[in-house]
Amino acid sequence: MNFVCISINHKTSSVGVLESLHLSADETEKFISVLKGIYLSEGVIVSTCNRTEIYGFPTENKIDITPIIDQLLEFKKVDGISKNNFSVYFSCGAIKHLFSVASGIESMVVGDSQILGQIKSSFEFALSHEFAGTITQKIFEAALKIGKKTIKETTICEGAVTVSYAAVQVVEKIFANLNKKSALVIGAGETGELAAIHLRDKLIGKLFVANRTLSRAEELSKKVNSQVVPFDKLSEFLHQFDIIISATSSESQIISFEEINTAINKRKGTPIVIMDIAVPRDIDPKVGELENVFYHDMDSLNIIVQQNMQKRIEQIPFVLKIIMNEMVSFFGWYNTLDVVPTIKSLRNFFDEIRNDELDKLKHKVSIEDFEKIEDMSKRLIGRILHNPTVKLREYAESGTKAKEVITNTILLNELFNLENKTNGKANNDENNLKEKFE
Amino acid sequence: MSIIIILNVLLPFSYAIGLIFYLADFYFQKKWLYDSKRLLVLITILIHSFYIVLRTINYDHPPITNKFEIFSLLALSLCFIYFVLELITDIRATGWLILAFAFLFQFISSMLIEEVYVVPDVLRDRMLGLHVINAILGYSGFTLSAVYGILYLLLYKNLKTKKFGLLFNRLPSLDILEKLSLYSAVIGFVLLTISIAMGFIWLPDAFPNFSYADPKLIGTILVWLVYGYGFIKRFVSNWFGKKIISYSLIGFVIAIASLIITNTLAKTFHSFY
Repeated sequence: MNFVCISINHKTSSVGVLESLHLSADETEKFISVLKGIYLSEGVIVSTCNRTEIYGFPTENKIDITPIIDQLLEFKKVDGISKNNFSVYFSCGAIKHLFSVASGIESMVVGDSQILGQIKSSFEFALSHEFAGTITQKIFEAALKIGKKTIKETTICEGAVTVSYAAVQVVEKIFANLNKKSALVIGAGETGELAAIHLRDKLIGKLFVANRTLSRAEELSKKVNSQVVPFDKLSEFLHQFDIIISATSSESQIISFEEINTAINKRKGTPIVIMDIAVPRDIDPKVGELENVFYHDMDSLNIIVQQNMQKRIEQIPFVLKIIMNEMVSFFGWYNTLDVVPTIKSLRNFFDEIRNDELDKLKHKVSIEDFEKIEDMSKRLIGRILHNPTVKLREYAESGTKAKEVITNTILLNELFNLENKTNGKANNDENNLKEKFE
Repeated sequence: MSIIIILNVLLPFSYAIGLIFYLADFYFQKKWLYDSKRLLVLITILIHSFYIVLRTINYDHPPITNKFEIFSLLALSLCFIYFVLELITDIRATGWLILAFAFLFQFISSMLIEEVYVVPDVLRDRMLGLHVINAILGYSGFTLSAVYGILYLLLYKNLKTKKFGLLFNRLPSLDILEKLSLYSAVIGFVLLTISIAMGFIWLPDAFPNFSYADPKLIGTILVWLVYGYGFIKRFVSNWFGKKIISYSLIGFVIAIASLIITNTLAKTFHSFY
């Protein structure tokens, strides 16, 4: 099998390089037309912010990936990237790589399930542009199956692996129903925005945003459907919030111990969760000493992130087992392609004999008797061919009895003179597949 | 007779197996443990109920004639109330601590229970049976409330000291633990109220030496008042979180102290054994 994968990803190159080779949908469409039929007979292009990968079957039997890489670099008009930036996989290795990518174990954040959706849309894109053929289709269907199985059967995608999500995870350990709580996000930067999005996704009851620059607060507020709290009047409103997440770039503290102490007194002891995910910290860490105030900063949230990351890494052996099972299953199917023509020829050969003999009898017996003989002969041939067909498929599927498969196939062809009788290979798309890719 | 003895020996093992499954699931979180532990508790409840019925029929009195029969009833009611709560809330991560209590009660009961054939006539009264069973269920509710309270404080401390270990990962949120503690206390309070009401109606007729100054009566009323005051504070004065949980635990300590003092130290007409 000469299936190849040419990959440039976060492990082989810097973000800058990955950005320069990223293919948009339009570019992918154009690049498919560059490759299709000339360099690859069929394939799929996957391009995300962390990887650009070309999968496919070269048009020639000789596997030379250099022209494909050259075409990509020329297409993107990029200089200074060498072949060392690319990883190249062949045959079994290429399939294993795709399966690993689909399962999320090759992602920058192990277990990131976003990649599965990206592979799915890339595959559908290739299908719609008639670039993905039968075997590629089978390979990618297996990859998608692995991705789904990984999510369902392992915990590799579970647990917060970003600080802002870890903050929400801690909040959920304190409050059961976020839809009855109100939250304030201070800071409209990237981290603040991410925290606000997580809270919105968790269906927080009321969401408020505060930022030193009002316009940025309003901008974020529109994005996450929240209200704006004036930054200079924060201390007046603090007691109204069950959750405060602060992520500003302020060089000094913006909320003091006294302000939180006043707020908790006004709340009559109702718990308040404070997530200070700014560096340097926005809130006086001494507030953590107050009863019913749960204060967490970057250090404590990073502990959760590290723990969850470790748990995800511990799931990799289970994912590899899923990959291995699917590879066995895929190659089982692939190996049967060897024997399909022989089985088909054998069945055709017997059917022809049966039809000849039935023709001879047709006018010599009554219609009822003929129908009985027709049924009987059909069953007879079915029973005679059942065991050889099943055994031949089993040998092929196991992938470990190649010698037996070849010997038996040759023997059957010679004994029944199959190659001269029928040309099964020429009549079946699937029969031709393996020849085409080997 | 022999079946009762066999069940008496079997029950602590049944509770222990349930406890092991709950603990194992708490640590390892395996699907087969998660699925089978509830079934094990249900089987234990059925075996235990069968044992109680058999005992009642065989000895011709409800199993409330000595401390160790009471302990066995306490184990069953604790397990039963927890099972109902688990079915309603589908929170299964707290069962290990409750089953640990149930196992302890049943173990002591199975080790020390006596085969009592001759009991005073008053102990064969159905009203007494209902009075005592309601009281036991009531105290089981308070015990359960205290267990959830302990889990609340453990998680609270973990969150305050930034420890994100097993308890953080497995226990439900503080909100839920607080609610479970509250619901259990409410169930306990209602059942204890019924028991007290039944006692006021039935006890003066059943015991010639009945006295309103009886230490057990005063102790039970005190426990009732402590919990009642707690509910007023919770629903009227908005006591929340650690404050109400700490109060509930103080209530539980008073309830246990009252039981121990009135059953062992004070002289009471109210002693059935």
